Amino acid sequence: MSRRLLFLLPLVTLALMAGFFAWSLLAGRDPASIGSVLVGRPAPRLDVKALRDGEPPLTDGLLKTGKPTIVNFFASWCTPCLAEHPLFARLAERDGAVIIGIAWKNKPEEARAWLKRLGDPYKFAGADLEGRAGLDWGLSGVPETYLIDGQGIVRRHFRGPITERDVNETILPFLKGGK
Amino acid sequence: MLEFLLALLTTATVGALLVPLLRASARRTERLDSALAIYRDQLAEIERERAAGTLPEAEAAAARIEVERRILSAANTTDAAVHADSAGLHRFLPPALALVIPLLALGVYLQIGRPGLPAAPFSAPNSARGPAPHANPNEPMSIERLLAQARARLAEAPNDPDALSALGEAMVLEADGSVTPAAREAFDKALAGRPDDPRAQFYLGLHETQSGDSRAALARWQALEAKSPPDAPWLPMLRAEIARVAKAAGLPVPPSAAPSAPTGMPQPSRDQVEAMQNLDPAQRQQAIRSMVEGLDARMKESPDDRAGWLRLANAWKVLGENAKAADAYAKADALGAVDTRTLTDWAEAHVRQIAPGAAPPPDAVAVLQRLEKAEPRNALALFYLGAASFAAGDKPEALKRWKTLLSLLPADAPIRGMLEERIKSAE
Repeated sequence: MSRRLLFLLPLVTLALMAGFFAWSLLAGRDPASIGSVLVGRPAPRLDVKALRDGEPPLTDGLLKTGKPTIVNFFASWCTPCLAEHPLFARLAERDGAVIIGIAWKNKPEEARAWLKRLGDPYKFAGADLEGRAGLDWGLSGVPETYLIDGQGIVRRHFRGPITERDVNETILPFLKGGK
Repeated sequence: MLEFLLALLTTATVGALLVPLLRASARRTERLDSALAIYRDQLAEIERERAAGTLPEAEAAAARIEVERRILSAANTTDAAVHADSAGLHRFLPPALALVIPLLALGVYLQIGRPGLPAAPFSAPNSARGPAPHANPNEPMSIERLLAQARARLAEAPNDPDALSALGEAMVLEADGSVTPAAREAFDKALAGRPDDPRAQFYLGLHETQSGDSRAALARWQALEAKSPPDAPWLPMLRAEIARVAKAAGLPVPPSAAPSAPTGMPQPSRDQVEAMQNLDPAQRQQAIRSMVEGLDARMKESPDDRAGWLRLANAWKVLGENAKAADAYAKADALGAVDTRTLTDWAEAHVRQIAPGAAPPPDAVAVLQRLEKAEPRNALALFYLGAASFAAGDKPEALKRWKTLLSLLPADAPIRGMLEERIKSAE
C-alpha cells in the first residue's frame, strides 16, 4: 500500500508547483517592490572600465561631486531599457542631469551602437561586461536606476524602467532639491 | 530538428505504453492455456501411474477429481477477470488515453502554436541575408526596404516632406518603436516643408510622450485630430494612442478618444493591438483580413450604414480586393452620392481590375464619367475614358482626352511614352 502511495508523489509535487506558480501570477506580487538595502547608505564602490574609447575608468569620485547624480544600469538587449531611454535623453538635454550609464553584461560594441542609434544621454558611460559592478550595487537585472545625492548617499533605487511619472514626481524634484 | 526529435520521443513513449497494454488481455488467455496444459499433463501422469499399477485406483480417482476441480476454478477465475475487464473501462481506457493525450496536445499546438516561426537567433540577421525566401508581395514591406526606398526618394528630392516622414517612420520601426534623434530630425525637416504632415506630427508626439512630456504629445495629437478629415485612415489609431497615453499619464481622456467608437467600427482593444504587433507579417495580414471579413459580414446585416460601407470599401481596397471594394463603394453611393475623393478611390478600385491595354467595362466607365464630370482634369478619368472611347471606335474623343492628359503630365512622367504611343496609334 505504501509503495502505491509513492507513485502519487510526482502528481502531488506537480500540483504543489502549479499552485505556487498560480499564486505568484495571480496574487499581484510586484517583483520590483522588494525594496533596497542601499537607500540611505553611501553608494557602493564604483570601479568600471569606460564604455567609450579613450575615456578614463569610472571611479567613486564621480559620485561625491556635491551635485546629485543618476546612475543607470542598462543593456542594449533589454527592451524596458529602450522604453525608458528617451526619458534619460530628456533629463540630460532639458534638465541638465548628470547621468552615469553602465552597460551591464553587454558587449561594449553593441552598447555603443545602441547609444549611437538612440542618442547618448550619459555624461559618463561604463562597461560592466562581467556584471561585477552589478553585484556590488545589488542589481537584480536591468534596467535599474539609482539617485545619489551630492554626498554620495543613495536616495532612491528604481528596480525596473523609470516612467514619466517617476521623472515628474521623483527625479525632477530630487535634482532640484539636491542642488 | 528539435520538433522531430520530440515527436519521435512521444511516439516511442506512446508505443512503450501501448504494447504492454494491448498485450495484457492476450496474455491472460495464454496464461489459462498454459495452466490447462499443466493440468492435462498431471491428468495424463495420473492415468499412466494408475495403468502401471503404482497408484491405487481409489487414490488415482481422488487425485483426478482434485486436478479437475483445479481446472474448473482456473477457468472460472480467468473467465471472471476477462468478463469484469471487458465490462469496465479498464480494458480500453489506458490505450485510449495513451493515444488521445498526445493527439490532443498536437491538436492544441497546431491550433495555438506557431510551428512556422523561425527561432529567434536566426530571424534577426535577416537583414544581412536579404529578404526571407517566403517573402510575398502581399506582405507589408520589410524595414530595410522601407529605409532604402525613403533614402532613394530623398536622393532625388532631399526636402520632400513625404519621403522625410517615410524615412523617419522606417527609422522608428528599425529602433523597435523608439523615436530616435535621427528620426526626429527627419520629422522636423518634414514639418519645415509641410507644417501639418500627419505622420511627422504623430511621431513627434510619440517622441514627446516617450521622453516624458505626455501633455505636449496630447496637445499635438489633438490638434492633428482636429485638422484631419473625418474619414482619415489614421484617425482610429490616433484616437487609440491619445486614449492610451492619457490613461498612462493619469490625464483625462479627451471625449473624442473615448473608447466608444463614434462611427460604429469596433476598435481593436489594446490587447488585440499588442497581439497583432507580435504576429509575423503573413499572420498579421491574415488577422487584418479576418477583421475586414467580420466587418463585411456585419454590413450584410445592417446594409443602410453608409459610413460602414465606405470603411469596408477602403479596407478592401487597401487589401487589394478591388472587386469587393468597388462593390462596397457602389453600396455606399446608393445610400447617398459619394464625394470626389471617394469617387477617385472608387474609380481606382475599378481600373485596377482592368488588364493592361484592355478597355474598361461599363460599370467602371460609369464611375469614371462621374469622376470626369466632378474633376475634368482627373488623369485617371482622362486616361481610361480615352481607352473606352478608343475601344468604342470614337477615335476623336479618345484623342481629345489623351492629348489633354499629355498636356497635364509633367515632362518626366513615366507613362508619357506609353501615352504618346497610344495617341500615335489612334491618329
